[in-house]
Amino acid sequence: MEAWLDFAKGPLFAFTFGIMIAGLFRLVFLQVYHLLVKKGRRLKDVPWMAMVRESLSWVIPVRHIEPGTKIFSIASFLMHIGVIVVPLFLLDHVVRWERFLGLDLPAVSKGTADILTLLTIACSLLLLAYRTFRARHRTVSGPVDYILLVLVLLPFVSGYLAMHPALNPLPWDVMMLTHILSAEVLFLMIPATKLAHVVLFFFDRISAVHWQLRPGAGDRVAEALYGEEVRI
Amino acid sequence: MDTTTAVPGIETIDSPSRRTLPYHLMKHPGDDLVDRFLEAFGRVLEFTDYKPLLDSYRRSNTKCNRCAVACPVLQASGDPKDIPCYRTNLLLGIYERYFTLDGWLKSRFSNAFELTEEIIFEMGDIFYRCTACRRCTRVCPLGFDHGLITRLGRYVLSLVDIVPKALQVSVQEQLEGETHNTSKVPRAGLLDVLEFLAEEMEEMLGVELEFPTDREDRDYVFFCAVSDYLMEPDTLMGNAAVLYASGDWDRWTIGLCNYDGINYGLFYSDWHLENIIKQLVSEVDRLRGRNILIGECGHASRAAHDFIPTFMGSKAPPVLNFMEYTLDCLRKGKITLDPDVITERVTYHDPCNIARSGWIVEQPREILRSFVPDFVEMTPRGSDNLCCGGGGGLVSVDEIHEFRMDIAGRMKAEQLRQTGAEIVVAPCANCKKQLKELVEYYDIPCRVAGLHDLILQSIVIPGGISPMERKERADLFTI
Ligand code: SF4
Ligand code: SF4
Repeated sequence: MEAWLDFAKGPLFAFTFGIMIAGLFRLVFLQVYHLLVKKGRRLKDVPWMAMVRESLSWVIPVRHIEPGTKIFSIASFLMHIGVIVVPLFLLDHVVRWERFLGLDLPAVSKGTADILTLLTIACSLLLLAYRTFRARHRTVSGPVDYILLVLVLLPFVSGYLAMHPALNPLPWDVMMLTHILSAEVLFLMIPATKLAHVVLFFFDRISAVHWQLRPGAGDRVAEALYGEEVRI
Repeated sequence: MDTTTAVPGIETIDSPSRRTLPYHLMKHPGDDLVDRFLEAFGRVLEFTDYKPLLDSYRRSNTKCNRCAVACPVLQASGDPKDIPCYRTNLLLGIYERYFTLDGWLKSRFSNAFELTEEIIFEMGDIFYRCTACRRCTRVCPLGFDHGLITRLGRYVLSLVDIVPKALQVSVQEQLEGETHNTSKVPRAGLLDVLEFLAEEMEEMLGVELEFPTDREDRDYVFFCAVSDYLMEPDTLMGNAAVLYASGDWDRWTIGLCNYDGINYGLFYSDWHLENIIKQLVSEVDRLRGRNILIGECGHASRAAHDFIPTFMGSKAPPVLNFMEYTLDCLRKGKITLDPDVITERVTYHDPCNIARSGWIVEQPREILRSFVPDFVEMTPRGSDNLCCGGGGGLVSVDEIHEFRMDIAGRMKAEQLRQTGAEIVVAPCANCKKQLKELVEYYDIPCRVAGLHDLILQSIVIPGGISPMERKERADLFTI
């Protein structure tokens, strides 16, 4: 078991983490490349300030809590806090980041991390319930949407149980291995699924850029489809 | 509603699946529909810049469903197919399956998704149930622009001949017809209308004037929705009254070769959008005009304001909405509005095309507050407004009148009723038409007017009849 744990913590961690970074980097690179090459000088006509202001308003989205989505939005917001803070700033993780990447991150107290973890678990369950029991959510959901939520839950639940031996029904190392492996699966999933919104968020928000249509494109499409005989 | 009623000379869709669309088409889309759709989509992706956006959307759509609460259509219909994200995913799904490597790979391992004629018809229906008002964009945490996707979907559909006849006929006349405008108003007809308006103004305001047509080297070349010449004389006279009272009568003109600001390309086709813009700019160039002044019309304003710079680059003449011009005159003291004339309760409807981006929200309110003592707001308002229900060109499609009334405009009607206003100001040709139909349909005791209709009543004309006197005369007349 010891050997398995070491393997999961060491090479496997490095491998999956590397894949995630490379995958996300690829997505960002493709977006930036397309923007610079295809939009070029038209980028200057974009209302950048308004767009940045609007995007920043979503960092703490209090004014975006709409009637009809209140509970869902608050749950989703709290979950996101947990999902960002705990993996990065939990003391045990900070130590790992230091050793692995040489990063010196501040740590949150164990109590805070515990609360955040429980909140994240509760909120994810609530989101899962929404997806399962609300027809409107089901209409737009596919299998992946449910699986991913469970996948996000796994490292949190297993991590919490591993840290609280009194609640843990399994041996510590089994739980720890579950924790690490599920996190690593998640690493692999991030660039390949909708979780890619961690980076694509910024590119989704710039629809104003995409309203800058390419001059002459309409003509070229029409010509390619209909030849000389342009149809109206 | 029987949507299959045959109108002489017009073919309605009759696919093998016997699916019908709620509006008439110009042409039968033909048999090889799926192949042609994919070819058209492919060409669009090849020559335009939509690909990165589609890529980003398809990979990151979290399907949180927040957008659902913002959509007035969905709120009224309750039909899951009206969920913004559902509709957007249809197009994204086709993109992923047929134009990306991983989508293709996925399709090798399962038989999950194949494009069928049925799906294309479904798109032909639901892409014209969305008014492209983009209200949902403001509540989407990722900022998904469903208006843009709706428009792209319609663009591809239009390339396989699926487009409401009303839109098609209009743009065809505008680009290829003799009159070069969507309402087929010939030049002689326009001149008649202008003469009539001048006479009316003379009688009403007590000043003699002649509308400046085809004058060169002017500061402003004026374009409105051409239908205004037929249907909104008060708005136009209000515009003219501001230009007259401010002393700018010698600084503007109406071109006689092209006088239509309407651009339905904004709603469904890049090709039309660009060519109509070019036509408009060439008229301004011909007259060596310095600015483009757009009358009360939301989509005409947005089309010109946002897309002239896109397509014309640095050669683009500046675009001004008439309300910006009027506010400027008011602030500079060039015009005076009498605050005692309009005594009714007035509210303001924000046209999506100018308000959603925050471009024109406060300007009309500042004007209204300066001369309307009983001004009330609707909630929500401004950039968060509710669409009138006729946006995205829907208002022109008569076949879906029932849908516009019962579903798309239902929340608006309710909102309007709650204000208790006697007049609703809607500075947009499309909104005006839809709202007029709505107040009638729902029997709301409220009159629909343009901002400049009210200005026409209240403006002080130097050397002319005073607004109060005009009001008394008009009252006499109505009794
Ligand atoms: S609000 Fe945005 S992310 Fe959420 S379902 Fe709608 S489009 Fe998707
Ligand atoms: S653009 Fe408007 S009508 Fe269309 S889905 Fe969004 S809110 Fe609904």
